[in-house]
Amino acid sequence: MPDDLSRPLADVMAPIQRARGLPNAHYIDPMTIGRENRAVLETTWAALAVGADVPEPGDAKPIDFLGQPLLLLRDDEGAVRVYFNICRHRGMILVGSPRKIDGAIRCPYHSWCYSKDGRLVATPHVGGPGQNACDGIERARLGLSTVRSHVWRDVVFINLSGDAPPFEKVHADLLTRWAEFERPIFHGGHDSTFILDVATNWKLAVENYCESYHLPWVHPGLNSYSRLEDHYHIMEPGRFSGQGSYVYRQLQGADGETFPDFAGLSGFWDTGAEYVSLFPNLLLGVHRDHVYAIILEPVSHDRTREHVHIYYPTPDTDETLRAKNAKQWESVFLEDIFVVEGMQRGRAASGFDGGRFSPAMDGPTHLFHAWVASRVDAHGA
Amino acid sequence: MDRSALDEALLAAHAAGDLHGLILLYVRAAEMEGPGATFYLTHAYVFALEAADPQSAALRARLVAMGAERDESMRPAR
Repeated sequence: MPDDLSRPLADVMAPIQRARGLPNAHYIDPMTIGRENRAVLETTWAALAVGADVPEPGDAKPIDFLGQPLLLLRDDEGAVRVYFNICRHRGMILVGSPRKIDGAIRCPYHSWCYSKDGRLVATPHVGGPGQNACDGIERARLGLSTVRSHVWRDVVFINLSGDAPPFEKVHADLLTRWAEFERPIFHGGHDSTFILDVATNWKLAVENYCESYHLPWVHPGLNSYSRLEDHYHIMEPGRFSGQGSYVYRQLQGADGETFPDFAGLSGFWDTGAEYVSLFPNLLLGVHRDHVYAIILEPVSHDRTREHVHIYYPTPDTDETLRAKNAKQWESVFLEDIFVVEGMQRGRAASGFDGGRFSPAMDGPTHLFHAWVASRVDAHGA
Repeated sequence: MDRSALDEALLAAHAAGDLHGLILLYVRAAEMEGPGATFYLTHAYVFALEAADPQSAALRARLVAMGAERDESMRPAR
């Protein structure tokens, strides 16, 4: 179903009082979404993975993102690199499954070899049997194709188009807002990560995460201590949106134990917490004693894989408490699934006009819609 | 080990993904080959690179000396 040309994206970018949401095609039409992807996911800083996915030097993990085969690799100096997962010879996939690479990355086809820093270091028989060099094959020009990347708070971001403004410039506002949290963070390990497979377009997960309006209905367990009026909107046009809470309560173990706090936080964070959708596809949460990142992997136009990773201020937190925390967050995020899947199914209704926003409650969600619409519009998609 | 046994051992090492075994066996194949040794030495070198085996530098030097590698800018993989 093509985009509805009779209702331009200007409606989405209109002031919230009269704006409509993105047209159905942006959720159900692969062709429209393909164009949208270019404007929203390929030319921005998209979240791809976390450094904890490749914890040790030599760890390599192939990842498909928007259908493109990428390779996440931690080099011998400990830096995380992202390459296109292909040999410069015949375009063969280099690494088929996650594994440790001791030395060179050897293409399984003709055995061209690449160092972990991307240099082409061997081209066996390229000049004929037993001749490993020849005119026209300049190794210095045939290293692995690098994908522009940036790591912030262990999240690996990529800019597939290679021409986005620097990450620190694009997200300077959030870096400043959360400057107090710019301290080492430690992934909680295997018990602090989980994946949710959701039958929805990734944008609906962003939209749901942005707003607090749904909390009393979808997460009734919050009503006992975190009421709707305890929340506030977070809105930074073109960058991020979300919600904050004034009433965060630390999780306690059986004997009243808690996680250690991040050092140096101001008093606001004693009971404050913030939840931000960092455009395009990263959901973040910060609290005095833990933070988390949820990477929304756009598997297809109607399927999203949510990769949840929880981090702590120290590397030696209590295992039982960590597991309890992960379980608690998982139960909250599971409560959201019927909503984002329901909205996805609802987008098949031809009578749906994008919907209306509550000027009082849906500001952060509209801000995201307007951002998507403005980028699509600017890219002529 | 005769040539037939070597071939069998090579196949087994390939099937097992035994990189260090492959290095050893391809060096042996090169020794049997005489003038055509660069073919098998190249294989030994490639698997040494993949395995980060310390023999890779010496194998590369032999290939350079034999005229099979002429890219002087090439450095062994880390």
